[in-house]
Amino acid sequence: MTLAAILVSVISLVVGALLALLMIPVLVWLERRGAGLVQDRLGPNRTNVFGFRFGGVVQSFADVVKLVLKEEYYPAHIARHRWLLMLAPMITFSAALLAFMVIPFADNIVIDGESLRMQPLPVDYGVLWYMAIGAIGVVGIFLGGWLSHNKYSLLGSSRAGSMMVSYELPLGLSIIAFVLTYDTIDFNAMVTWQSGTVLGFLPAWGMVVQPLGALILIVALFAETNRNPFSVSEGESEIVAGYMTEYTAMKFAMYFMGEYVAMNSASAVIITMVFGGYQLPWVSTETLLAHFNYFAWAIMLVIPAIVYLVIRWMRKNNRVRPTVISDGSREFEAKVLSWAMIGMTVVVEAILLYLSFSPDAVLGTAIAVTLLQIVVFVVKLMLFNLFFILVRWTLPRFRYDQVQRVGWYYLLPLSLVNLFITAIIVVGVN
Amino acid sequence: MLENSIFAILALFLVGGSLMMLWSRETVLSAFGFLVAMLAMAGLFALLENSFVFLAQIMVSVGAVVVLSLMVITSINMKEENLPSEPYKLRWMLFSALLVSPFALLMYRTLVHLGQTFDTSREGYGTLKGLGGELFSHWVLPFEIVSVLLLAAMVAAIVIARKEPKQ
Repeated sequence: MTLAAILVSVISLVVGALLALLMIPVLVWLERRGAGLVQDRLGPNRTNVFGFRFGGVVQSFADVVKLVLKEEYYPAHIARHRWLLMLAPMITFSAALLAFMVIPFADNIVIDGESLRMQPLPVDYGVLWYMAIGAIGVVGIFLGGWLSHNKYSLLGSSRAGSMMVSYELPLGLSIIAFVLTYDTIDFNAMVTWQSGTVLGFLPAWGMVVQPLGALILIVALFAETNRNPFSVSEGESEIVAGYMTEYTAMKFAMYFMGEYVAMNSASAVIITMVFGGYQLPWVSTETLLAHFNYFAWAIMLVIPAIVYLVIRWMRKNNRVRPTVISDGSREFEAKVLSWAMIGMTVVVEAILLYLSFSPDAVLGTAIAVTLLQIVVFVVKLMLFNLFFILVRWTLPRFRYDQVQRVGWYYLLPLSLVNLFITAIIVVGVN
Repeated sequence: MLENSIFAILALFLVGGSLMMLWSRETVLSAFGFLVAMLAMAGLFALLENSFVFLAQIMVSVGAVVVLSLMVITSINMKEENLPSEPYKLRWMLFSALLVSPFALLMYRTLVHLGQTFDTSREGYGTLKGLGGELFSHWVLPFEIVSVLLLAAMVAAIVIARKEPKQ
């Protein structure tokens, strides 16, 4: 292994872990602010560290501190097998975390003629890995529900578990249809396949090529992550918090965070298979590398505009009430953040300027393209997470029998039909 | 050396999980032991760089078999007094152990000589592509027969599970 290979694998592991783990507080915050947006209120926005609130993200860290320091409480009826009770949320959490680790967040970077994968686990069977490891998460739910010695927990866990097992069928069948279309089980090759165009003008994303399969995939992944409208494991009026009822402190937080990691992995899989992954529409990696000058100039024009708008928006909104003018700490925060953003813009502009005027900087261009793709990936990921959150706060929860009916009577036959049609078209085209 | 120690750890988990599954009196602990054993087995396949069998092991044994056994455990209330009584358990066990001991000897001799009879696998055999090529070129007929068998089993299961039509 060369030094470059080691560096790239370490960096992709770190970026992957950050994308999976650091996303949890951001997603929890986004969920609560999103709920506030939908319900016409503000959501948490006051917790701060030295006056820095970052729109309220600090609240999530405060929550984690609270959960870590909370008393480990076991109800008296959970007398035996406490170790397994503690292990159950860990199984769910680590399954969700490991499932994320095969998502490519940039195209293979070529350093000295060596193609290196930008993937935390550099394997070429990503789809199978996601399906296999993602399936382990159900075990933690079952174990937790059974060991809680509680009817609510038992009902919640068997509802969640049987729903997830049922929806694995349409999920697997729609994924098989995608595998047939892309002719690969490698996530990165899938993204590369999607960089072309269909009919000359539409980007060849899975959404365009396989609309029905994409829809089934998205619905099935909503069910797999136990999110609304498929959150049948919970029910405030009948089965309380489902399998999490008897869990306290960090054990509860593991289940809770595992749900967000699973949601994050699900959106990553959806954008990788259906929405072109890390790629800008119409622009493949080769185009980016060959004509990086033009893209650099475009980015140099766009970034100051975006930063200007963000700063104006922040200065307008970062106060207690529009009529109240004086709030020292908030003004200070807005000032510091504005200067930080301006400074970062200047640095990015300088780097892009240097790269666009030095045609020999092949390595620099490759790294810049990779960074651009990571940014595109994160933006798409956040957009899809936002979609997950808005759906949760918009739609009511389905009844349990409705969920199973949708899965078995509609999604399963639809995915079978989709698979047949795909197979016929693929064989016919070839 | 590294490979050997990983093998030893995985084998320890495999044996420990199997023993836990066999000997624990609680069904849920048995299921957990089953899970550990199956994951360790998948790890052994991964150690052989046989990526497809590794993933298939997790997908089938963990994703289907362990999950379904857990589902059964949560849906039936397993209690000690519901089990059939076994008055002469130890005697029966000794008798049956005596009965199968010749087979154990046979097993032992087979397993000892097994290592010499197998070829080393070809390059790229464990990958999905290699396995698919092998399966669909040399073994198409058995593969299709197995798929028909599975289909028949599925239809039979549905027929058994269906409610009796009202007279």
